[in-house]
Amino acid sequence: MGEILGNLATGFVNAVQPLNFLMIVVGLAIGIIAGALPGITMLNSIVLVLPFTYLMGIVPALLLMIGVYCGGVFGGSITGILFNIPGDPMNVPTTWEGYRMSRQGHTQYALGLAIMSSAFGGLVSALFLAFFAPPFARFALSFSTVEFFSVVVFGLASVSVLGQSSMAAALVSLFSGMFLGTIGTEAQYGVERFAFGIPFLKTGVDFVTVLIGLFAIGEVLDQIVGTSSEPAAETPRARAVPRLPLLALWPLRGPLVRGTAVGIAVGGLAGAGATVSSFVSYGLEKQISRTPELFGTGHAGGLVASESSVNGSTGGAMIHLLTLGIPGSAATAVMMGAFLLHGIQPGPLLFTRQTAEVYTIVAGMILANVVMIGLGFLAALSFAMLMKVPPPILNTFIVVFCFLGAFALRNDLADVWLTMLFGVLGFFMRRYDLPIPPLVMGIILGPMAEQYFLTSMVAHANDVSVFVTRPVSAALLAISVVIVLWPVVKRLRQRSRPASAT
Amino acid sequence: MPALARVVAPLAGVIVAVALFAATRGLDDVARGEQLGPGFWPRLVLIGLGLASAAKLVENLRRAAPNDHAVARAGAAGLGGVRRGTLLLAIATIVLYVALTPWLGFPLVTVGFVAAFMMLLAGARSPVAIGAAAVLGTVGLLYVFVKLVYLPLPKGDGAFETMTLALYRGLGIF
Repeated sequence: MGEILGNLATGFVNAVQPLNFLMIVVGLAIGIIAGALPGITMLNSIVLVLPFTYLMGIVPALLLMIGVYCGGVFGGSITGILFNIPGDPMNVPTTWEGYRMSRQGHTQYALGLAIMSSAFGGLVSALFLAFFAPPFARFALSFSTVEFFSVVVFGLASVSVLGQSSMAAALVSLFSGMFLGTIGTEAQYGVERFAFGIPFLKTGVDFVTVLIGLFAIGEVLDQIVGTSSEPAAETPRARAVPRLPLLALWPLRGPLVRGTAVGIAVGGLAGAGATVSSFVSYGLEKQISRTPELFGTGHAGGLVASESSVNGSTGGAMIHLLTLGIPGSAATAVMMGAFLLHGIQPGPLLFTRQTAEVYTIVAGMILANVVMIGLGFLAALSFAMLMKVPPPILNTFIVVFCFLGAFALRNDLADVWLTMLFGVLGFFMRRYDLPIPPLVMGIILGPMAEQYFLTSMVAHANDVSVFVTRPVSAALLAISVVIVLWPVVKRLRQRSRPASAT
Repeated sequence: MPALARVVAPLAGVIVAVALFAATRGLDDVARGEQLGPGFWPRLVLIGLGLASAAKLVENLRRAAPNDHAVARAGAAGLGGVRRGTLLLAIATIVLYVALTPWLGFPLVTVGFVAAFMMLLAGARSPVAIGAAAVLGTVGLLYVFVKLVYLPLPKGDGAFETMTLALYRGLGIF
């Protein structure tokens, strides 16, 4: 412990050197802005800064990338809360709650909660990385695709079914999303599925087009046709300045701690990442909550759980990279490229051979999450100024931004068409009470579930019993089954009560 | 939701699921040995979609049976209260925006779209505000996405491409 504290102190001294600290701030700023722009993901921005790191030393290079990483996972929440446009798929649960809160006139509160819980999650996960990285990495390595599949199923089940007014409608939406996820060229055999000769469908339906369309375009249409299905904001848009609700976090300590823990745990599983962790954390919170029916209507606990888990996953993902040399996510894979470019091989020996560099990076992560409170506040303030723009102008430019966000994905107008199509679909889904979140979950997590399932089957000679003979997988699947069946059982019990009473 | 839609929509879900299930035939021809083919997972998903749609159909029929008016009050908002003409105009404007972009180029179509959308649909009345928002907004977006993000936005065809390039040069972003 003393040795770790000593190394961490050295790391802090190095990290606050002017160039290193500047890299953290610049990285955070790039990450927050890029994360907030739809279509430009956090991963895109890390890739874009990679060439700029060639001429830097390894420490400033990695601090720049860590800044982009930490800022990028948070940035998408700002536009999600303000405009219902999640910057990244990982920000979707935050958008579900944050935008509703904003519509109810609690924009400042929602933005403040997002900033504070992001920073808390990131900070704790960085400390976890500093103190527990090697033993956690060994534990996480015992997870295989079997457990990953079960984690994804758990995420799908918990968010899709709980709190929905109609389970059948939720499942229709979920399976529709999962089906959309199967369109395009299949990864294992290279076979085209459901493309029907349409060229752009061969590369699949990018889930970002679905997200932008369903959420943003659907919302704009809903507002301009006259009778929005959302409640109107109570406070003037001009008052959308964020505030930092330090004390307000105390009643939400449960979701905050659970979200962070889920973020670290899921982020620490190689291949799972921030998106899975945000959905799992949100779903878990929904199950634990005494008011699950309020999720999706502007629930602060849901926002805090999701947001803390997204940044909580950053430390978890770094554990694999630094201790085992295995990137835990696409973002850390790019960072691994930066290590290798500088002639350093991440892995078990890194902590002993390059102690100063490793602990500078860890200290940099801690600093990045502290600095993010200030920068996140400034960024949210800047974006919130857009809320002063009159609604006619704002709604019009939201459509234009959706165009740009969809086009930026592959420089292809076909994606823009898809976005607009899903926008119209989103409008009708709102109007006819077909829940949107399960569809989004299906298209994001469905392909992951397929990949993990098929890989597990190849590894275990098509023996499906492997999902119930491995304890972690069996427990997660059992909980998922209970979650799906519970509303049915509850309804049957409610029906049998009056019958038995008479 | 109208009574007919309550039956037709989930029934369509069942039919689409069955039709797509049939379309998975042949997908597994490439499967090696005993391995699961690329058609396995979609079939599983489509069975789920078909069953869920059937369950929704049963649910709608059972809910509709006792008291149609009560269901209508408790159910979805549907298109009640929606200005259908406005909705169609909004969709048509968005479709035109995307459809015209390859020919006229992003800058010109965006100026037109912003002006039309604000005026016809978003309720803006001041010509100065509309003009300023359309022109300044488009120029701002061009600076960010062409100059800073290097996004190759559609420049249009023929004379419109020349016009877009001249605009880019004039703005110093090309």
